[in-house]
Amino acid sequence: MTDTLSSPSATANWRDRFHRWLGEVFDEPSSVRGAAVLRIVLGPCVIWHLRPFLADAVSGITYHDRFQQPWWAWYPNAPEGLYVALLWIGVAAAVLMTVGWRSRIATGTAFAVVAYNLFLSQTHFHHNRAFLVILLAGVALCDNGRALSLDALRRPPPDDRALVWPIWLLRFEAAAVYFASGFSKLIDPDWVGGRVLHDRSVRYQNEVRDAIGDTLADPVLEVVTARAFHWVLSPAAVATELFIAFGLWFRRTRLVAVWVAVAFHVGIEVTSHVQVFSVIAIGALALWAVPSTRDRTLVTPSRWVGWLDWMARFDITVVPGASWCMVDRDGTVLEGREARQFVRTRLPATFLFSQFWRYR
Amino acid sequence: MATTADAVAESTAPQAGPNRPLWRRRGARWFAAAVVVAQLALVANGYRDPHNYFAFQPFNESSTYAVELVRVLDDGQRVAVPNGRWEGYDWNELIDWGPLQSPWRQRHAFSGVDAVVDFLDHALDWMADNTPGDTETRYWEATVTYYRNARGPHVTVIRSHDRDLGGP
Repeated sequence: MTDTLSSPSATANWRDRFHRWLGEVFDEPSSVRGAAVLRIVLGPCVIWHLRPFLADAVSGITYHDRFQQPWWAWYPNAPEGLYVALLWIGVAAAVLMTVGWRSRIATGTAFAVVAYNLFLSQTHFHHNRAFLVILLAGVALCDNGRALSLDALRRPPPDDRALVWPIWLLRFEAAAVYFASGFSKLIDPDWVGGRVLHDRSVRYQNEVRDAIGDTLADPVLEVVTARAFHWVLSPAAVATELFIAFGLWFRRTRLVAVWVAVAFHVGIEVTSHVQVFSVIAIGALALWAVPSTRDRTLVTPSRWVGWLDWMARFDITVVPGASWCMVDRDGTVLEGREARQFVRTRLPATFLFSQFWRYR
Repeated sequence: MATTADAVAESTAPQAGPNRPLWRRRGARWFAAAVVVAQLALVANGYRDPHNYFAFQPFNESSTYAVELVRVLDDGQRVAVPNGRWEGYDWNELIDWGPLQSPWRQRHAFSGVDAVVDFLDHALDWMADNTPGDTETRYWEATVTYYRNARGPHVTVIRSHDRDLGGP
């Protein structure tokens, strides 16, 4: 009886909560600072990504001069001169994105150039480039110039709030990348059983020797080329990706997931060449910050907090000689060492080395 | 009375909630839903598509391959192409793409064996279309020997389309 009565109300409750969430996502303005941080990270990455194409163009080589596999017959092929000009426009847009001058137009232009180049030939495709295109599109959809930009300096907006549904969309895309990668490996016995990574380790051991020398390489290779090592490493890698994919969504696991994601990408970057992927993936973690700013008050004797508070987590008052005091969103007051430790968990530059697990 | 500051604030305030036209509010929802569905479809498609485009399956294999390239002439004669050089052409210069460089040596299969074989198939066609100075080759043939995740060898043979040699 209880069940039959409670089920419709529970359903209605869920429906109400879903509609409220939809309203918050699509209609309520919130801080777009996360997108602004990502915009700044993406600018140099666009230049890094376009650099080999430009280097070839300077040598007189474009995609016209080598094997190419068009995606679609109808897709327009730019003549050589126009193609090279487009690449330079992409670079200029990337510079403007980074400094935040006409931020949204610059981001849209960089997206258009990178996407056009990607879809010229299937040989241009890499997963990291696909992710770059997606991130650029999402940031361009967002009014990302309202913070951390020359736009905001020239014409200060009343606050850094705008519609954040593109940020939610990018969160989905970022999580989808981790999930798709992790799940595909989970259902592949060769991958989760360690065969793929073990074979790669054995095949590329000479590169390890070249990089770190025989003396260091011997003990390292003894471990990483052992079959048993990969019985542990491969499932751990799969579990890591799946944990990040889901952990980012929940408040209690988010900080751990962010920390694991940074460590994961640094590990990949050290062991593999993945072009811009590591940097943009770490930059995209800024999207998971709660989209509200300066909603914790902080009294501190130190000026460095203001310089490092890129995500504007704190409303800071610097009082020389005062002890640290922080009031959290829920009214919790932390003082002294506790406040200092908490602050470290919320600053991107100190987060990795903070006691973030204590302050979720 | 509205001040200049109010006017500036109003002009830069985000158009949110009831301020936005209904079509824009609905449009954003439909657009977001379409992106989510499209991404999920692409992820699912990755299990069918050898290239798994936008399906995000990096480091999916540790496979290797090597290719024996042969030119088949009009009279059926099969001519090996040592180091990818023939009639003044050079495979590496023409293809000029990392994953298919020097395929006659044992190479890592970028994005997996299926992706490499598919690209190689297209590369042979591209080669057939872009070597006008070669007046002998009727078609290209590649015998691909590969090890999928260190298991093998497996062999597959692919060939380009026939070239028009302009004969009688």
